Amino acid sequence: MDMALVGIVLVSHSGKLAEGVRDLVRQIATDEVRVEPAGGTSDGSLGTDFSLIEAAVTRADTGAGVVVLADLGSAVLTTRTVLEDRPPGPVLVDAPFVEGAVAAAVIASTGAGLDEVVAAAEEARDVAKF
Amino acid sequence: MSQSSEIPVVLPAALHARPAGAVVRIAAAFQAAIEVRHDGRTASARSALRLMSLGAPAGATVTVHAEGDDAELAATAVAEILRAAS
Repeated sequence: MDMALVGIVLVSHSGKLAEGVRDLVRQIATDEVRVEPAGGTSDGSLGTDFSLIEAAVTRADTGAGVVVLADLGSAVLTTRTVLEDRPPGPVLVDAPFVEGAVAAAVIASTGAGLDEVVAAAEEARDVAKF
Repeated sequence: MSQSSEIPVVLPAALHARPAGAVVRIAAAFQAAIEVRHDGRTASARSALRLMSLGAPAGATVTVHAEGDDAELAATAVAEILRAAS
């Protein structure tokens, strides 16, 4: 690939939820965008896991930046802890998990920059489903 | 020179998630500001969620509107994507 694209990380309490949203997003936004799930704990139960999130952020980063979406509560808190330990760059966005992921990945697939991808994910809060 | 172009399209399939994503990707290749209009509502071709939110079903007529130097090419390209939606 010629141009680095903004990567997306999906932090969920559930591995299945994160992977399911990743699969859905790939169908809509092509598989050129890196969408990395970080769901559940390392032993496969429900919860959030520092090292899984950290690894997903690293995988998602191809040089254009990373947007992180979190499903609920401790997904936000654990992600914040991960990002505090890293050099600045990855952005945790306040957005609905499914819609935000779709909006962010579709715009990222056009080669849009980090600011525009963040804005697309945040905009998902205000777009009615129908 | 700025142009404006408008093309009606009868949708072969609903403007659901995959076609919306495809519209955003093709629209990004043009300078023109592109919108899709349906039933009195307007969505930017930069926003997959707003395009889906139009709720345009199969058989509906939508209008692709483009404004800018490459408006005609842009509207034509987006209309083609919508006509090919499945």
